[in-house]
Amino acid sequence: MSVQELHIEAGEHKRLVIMHVGEQTARWQIKQEADSVLTVHLFCLDMQSDAEVLLDIEQVGEHAETYIYGLGVLTGKQHVRVRTHVLHSVPNGRSSQLLKFAVKDEARAEFIGELIVAPNAQHTDARQTNRNVLLSPTATMHTQPQLEIYADDVKCSHGATTGQIDESALFYMQQRGIALDEARQLLLTAFFHDVVSTLAEQEVEERIQNKIADALA
Amino acid sequence: MLEIKNLHASIAGKEILKGINLHIRAGETHAIMGPNGAGKSTLSAVLAGNPAYTVTEGEVLFNGKDLLSMAPEVRAREGLFLSFQYPVEIPGVSMTNFMRAAVNAKLTHQGLPALSAGEFLKLMRAKRALVELDNKLANRSVNEGFSGGEKKRNEIFQMAMLEPCLSILDETDSGLDIDALRIVAEGVNKLHNEQNATIVITHYQRLLDYIVPDYVHILADGQIIRTGGKELALELEEKGYAGLIQ
Repeated sequence: MSVQELHIEAGEHKRLVIMHVGEQTARWQIKQEADSVLTVHLFCLDMQSDAEVLLDIEQVGEHAETYIYGLGVLTGKQHVRVRTHVLHSVPNGRSSQLLKFAVKDEARAEFIGELIVAPNAQHTDARQTNRNVLLSPTATMHTQPQLEIYADDVKCSHGATTGQIDESALFYMQQRGIALDEARQLLLTAFFHDVVSTLAEQEVEERIQNKIADALA
Repeated sequence: MLEIKNLHASIAGKEILKGINLHIRAGETHAIMGPNGAGKSTLSAVLAGNPAYTVTEGEVLFNGKDLLSMAPEVRAREGLFLSFQYPVEIPGVSMTNFMRAAVNAKLTHQGLPALSAGEFLKLMRAKRALVELDNKLANRSVNEGFSGGEKKRNEIFQMAMLEPCLSILDETDSGLDIDALRIVAEGVNKLHNEQNATIVITHYQRLLDYIVPDYVHILADGQIIRTGGKELALELEEKGYAGLIQ
């Protein structure tokens, strides 16, 4: 297992793009000082089977901001686990997580979202959203939001949904002449759009669109 | 153009269509009227290939080809268009991308080259004007946040883009105020010519004041029980379904 440690200095803005995880387990251990902003883009596209990504983030300075945007496309017999551990140790912090997975064939995705607000971390604003689409009846998604909130004056929310691709939308598109595969791809591209668009890099966006298309082919 | 012979269809084991026979030639407009639950929407869904329905008996020929053996997208590319009673909202898929995929799928099917971005946008602009569809709507996600009237106009806009040979308008008048109804009907009339045909499915005679049918069929309990000219719709308006079905 490799552990990468990052220390984000006070006032620093840092962007972390995780595109390809070649190792079985990859772990980031990050500490954020006051007024720092961390944005993580996580794309689980070429994952080894039984791969695990751990993002361990602690806000140690006030007014720090953490944004995590992640997506995963899993096919075949892939099994991938993503765990985020966000710890608000001090007051006035903000964190927002948006993770989306599309799981096909016999693949299995796991998302564990640990969000901890320490007793003195008042005025924390922490949000976590997890949305998933199952593309085959044998695909599975495990989602486990774990919120531990010890401060009483905070804004915290989380939501997790897992569903299937909208059949009525597929038929509507087919009725206009669009092949089923292409219709599925258009819907998935739309599904991932809010995650992909956070990168705001045309080239990377196109690479990801192509990966999605490959995965569905 | 379309020949329906003894068509039976069911959903979840319940038979809805119980032997439909209908013959439609190029240049014709047919109205199908009937009470709730008669099978009007089922007929349009079965013709479009909605997988929720099972055809248990019968045959449908579309320009001489076996329609029922074609996938829904192939039926569309062959020129069958269904204007949905409830157009589906597709968040995140832009009207432009949606229509480009549809138009190019049809062109490819016909062995023609796909349109360039410029040609495509020009076509969008020209067809949008036909149903007075705002450019703002054309830039949004498919049907997302559209009002009832905008959704129906958007259906006719798509029909104009795809130039089908057979259009089935499923309750296109439902949820429309009189102005929107006129715009939609005028759009349909402008698209009508001697090479294509239209099936108008409706509850009410009102739409047929604007889209004048050559034939009116009354559907009740899964069968066509009467066929007549446009005056049949007026008779229906007067006597009600109960009066005609007896």
